[in-house]
Amino acid sequence: MCGIVGYIGFRKADQVVISSLKRLEYRGYDSWGIAVKHNNKIMLVKRVGAISEDKMHEMAEGNIGIGHTRWATHGKPSEFNAHPHTDCSGEIAVVHNGIISNFQSLKEELEKKGHKFKSETDTEVISHLIEEFYRGDLKDAVSKTIDVLRGSYAIVVMHARKEELVAVRYKSPLVLGIGDEEWIIASDVPAILDYTSRVIYLEDGDVVSLTKEGFEIWKGNERVERKIETIPWSIEDAEKGGYDHFMLKEIHETPRVIEDTLFEYISEGVDIDVSFSAGISEIIFIACGTSYHASLVGKYLIEKLTGIPARVEFASEFIYNQPPMSRSLVISITQSGETADTLEAMRIAKKHGARVLAIVNVLGSTATRIADHVLYTRAGPEISVAATKSFIAQLVILYLIALKLSRLSRSEIERLAEELRVMPELVRKVLEQEGKIEQIAGKLAGYENMMYIGRGIGVPIAMEGALKMKEISYIHAEAYPAGELKHGPFALLGKNTPVIASLVPDETYEIMLSNIKEVKARESLVIAVADEHDSEIEKYVDFVIRVPKTDSIFTAITHSVALQLLAYYTARERGCEIDKPRNLAKSVTVE
Amino acid sequence: MMAMQAVILSAGEGTRMRPLTYTRPKVMLPIANKPILQHLIENLARAGVDEIVLVVGYKEETVRKYFGDEFNGVKIRYVRQKKQLGTAHALLSAEHVLEDRFLMLNGDAIVFEDDLKKLVKEESGIAVFEVPNPQDFGVVEVVDGNVSRIIEKPEKPKSRLINAGVYAFTKEIMDYVRNTPISVRGEYEVTDSITMAVSNGFEFKAVEIERWIDVGYPWDMLKANEELLANLESKIDGKIEENVTIKGEVIVEEGSLIMSGSYIVGPVIIGKNCRIGPNCYIRPYTSIGNNCHIGNAVEVKNSIIMGNTKIPHFNYIGDSIVGENCNFGAGTKIANLRLDEKEVTVNVKGKVINTGLRKFGAVIGDNVKTGINASINVGAFIGNDVFIGPGAVVSGVVEPNSRIY
Repeated sequence: MCGIVGYIGFRKADQVVISSLKRLEYRGYDSWGIAVKHNNKIMLVKRVGAISEDKMHEMAEGNIGIGHTRWATHGKPSEFNAHPHTDCSGEIAVVHNGIISNFQSLKEELEKKGHKFKSETDTEVISHLIEEFYRGDLKDAVSKTIDVLRGSYAIVVMHARKEELVAVRYKSPLVLGIGDEEWIIASDVPAILDYTSRVIYLEDGDVVSLTKEGFEIWKGNERVERKIETIPWSIEDAEKGGYDHFMLKEIHETPRVIEDTLFEYISEGVDIDVSFSAGISEIIFIACGTSYHASLVGKYLIEKLTGIPARVEFASEFIYNQPPMSRSLVISITQSGETADTLEAMRIAKKHGARVLAIVNVLGSTATRIADHVLYTRAGPEISVAATKSFIAQLVILYLIALKLSRLSRSEIERLAEELRVMPELVRKVLEQEGKIEQIAGKLAGYENMMYIGRGIGVPIAMEGALKMKEISYIHAEAYPAGELKHGPFALLGKNTPVIASLVPDETYEIMLSNIKEVKARESLVIAVADEHDSEIEKYVDFVIRVPKTDSIFTAITHSVALQLLAYYTARERGCEIDKPRNLAKSVTVE
Repeated sequence: MMAMQAVILSAGEGTRMRPLTYTRPKVMLPIANKPILQHLIENLARAGVDEIVLVVGYKEETVRKYFGDEFNGVKIRYVRQKKQLGTAHALLSAEHVLEDRFLMLNGDAIVFEDDLKKLVKEESGIAVFEVPNPQDFGVVEVVDGNVSRIIEKPEKPKSRLINAGVYAFTKEIMDYVRNTPISVRGEYEVTDSITMAVSNGFEFKAVEIERWIDVGYPWDMLKANEELLANLESKIDGKIEENVTIKGEVIVEEGSLIMSGSYIVGPVIIGKNCRIGPNCYIRPYTSIGNNCHIGNAVEVKNSIIMGNTKIPHFNYIGDSIVGENCNFGAGTKIANLRLDEKEVTVNVKGKVINTGLRKFGAVIGDNVKTGINASINVGAFIGNDVFIGPGAVVSGVVEPNSRIY
């Protein structure tokens, strides 16, 4: 995810673009850059780091400008790789949000024609392509360029000798703000609201030409009209996309995150590069917190689908309790790539000769430099301390690894990959249950203790569900394998301890049902997460959260999203802070 | 006539006008069936102003939608003031559209054609207006016909002339506006810019004006309404059934129907497409907006009833302001006189204020619905979207979206 901005009007463009980029910082903050037109020249500033930490830049006078705040996907964060990117002449400047999937082949063609590239980014091909097509009409050159681009993109383009901005939207967000004799175009509404609350949400394929006289929107060769809408929210609301908390916004971004992560690693078949697995005899997962629970799901999948032995260690314990490692693959999972315990465990593992694969969300983070191999989740920046969408993205990567390494038949792998492809749709269906989940949360909010239970893959689901509940609602929530209840925790159950049961439609289903009956006999309030077609369960429990049917291995996604919502609404009912729970930090950089 | 530009500050909410401003900016409050701002724009047009710049902010869409790009032959431009940080700040946000000479006006006070013409003639001038209580305003001290000082709410005013908030400026004022420091009230104020300019040798002619209608609190709307209706001339474009009595000056706009047995004593203005009567009594100084219904056995007196509101059966509304789109149940009445006949006090922004009025009813926001026989006490301020149940008694301040039973 990145944020882009374009401005044309009567104000100083540098000031507008910088202040608007600050509003988009939640979309990425590893580097930024702006371009302003001044006397038929393009003036550029690019910096590594967060724009909010930079002092206000004063650039040359100019009323036309573009800018970009970056969350690196191709090429590490550096001034070279920061946008805007220019063509060979330095007269065309481009900012881009999205991924150009065919950029390698385009780049090779352009290099053959003599174009010189200055960065490692996919974006730079756009500026060179526009240069190639430019015959004096910027909109025309941009239209020809998008005909050859594949992937997703929102682009804003300026030309040193044109009083014009041209922008395109295709599968990446772009909003046009209509001010009074000024126009601002950006990835999201917060960047616009300082100047106007009247916007047009552009549609895929829309090409916008902005001049000081006004704007035109084209689709192909036809001029189109788009509805002007008025944004009723404040800037603070808008950064949360109209949601009350970042956590809720991020849960709702999950379908998009799954799509983006799949888009990166799956095309015809699963084409994730698993060369890191050559010759290994075992897999050791090391992680902390939510990533630890993703690892437990990973272990389940690896052992079930591939037969490779796997175990999971807390990174903070791995340091003291170093297991013997020979021909071991260590998979370390960390959203930030900066978790101190995980980094230390990775270093130790390397010292012992293990091969280290990191699954990370933040490009260029420390973990990516220690690891031998890196796989990125495409979750985008996560603001809420409680991890939600990044957890699901980690699961998606683990599914892909397990499928790629699996010994299942080709047709079986294809069936499961197909199931994974429809996962964004299934998650959307879970999100539709929001109102129901909110009601159930209302019943839970008064309790101080809870028990989460499951079997098989249901155990890590329960553990992650309980972690979400405790970290944001401050309710003491424990997770237990359902079969272990009778060895102690049963003593805790009763009227004052609700039980949340993850019911997976596999070989554990029948025995879970009898466990639930045992729990119900202790008068606990029981809430089950179960398949939408399950008509049996409602006879035994107080409330059922329905999730759409999928292969049992994928319930880790559907159930977890439901339990995230349950934790969110319970915390909200209790009046908790949610995005910044007490005593907790987003990225734990101390041991 | 000289072509002239006018900048009107229309961005503020007007928090003292709540609950009416929860749903519209202050400049859009209707008086004699037109928003305050419309009165001002029409008077400016008559005085020869041909371009108006509206500085908008709070609920700006209501202003933009109402006036569009041209109104009564005058070009309307808009400038957005994101935060309302004072009059100098508002003027600064319009800097890029200013002509060499322009008028600047507060959008919440009404001034009239003849006075505006006097100002248009001056290169740099400030409208001043004589009042009996100058200590409540910005007091202007005049030396040799020029403004020497403007002092906000002085304890011992040296003159009875106050700043009417209407200025004739040349673009040079912007040098001072840009450098105006924040005031003790926490705002950037154009009066401070003027003081700076004066101390630098600038001269502003004090232009005394004859009429000035300022609306500070909701009950001031009733006074303004009375003043604007005072010179009304009858014009009946609607349909009047038999046995309707009309006395005094009454306007009935097109599409409206006055049904049999209605008794109307002007000055009264009734908007478009209203259904009035049968058998109702409408008393002087009442403005009824478009698409209203005043039904059987209803008495309305000295009140502003905004558009789309239904007051259909057995109601009494006196000395009150009723928002848009309200619906009163049968028998809902508003009290307008205390039993001890003392002046009515109200609660505005947490402070108890004496209205100075013995007869004052209620201020009711938009979309309020009442049940049968609900009783609304003197000085009640009822927020928008409030439901009042049958038989309920309401007094004091009621927050928006409340349910009262």
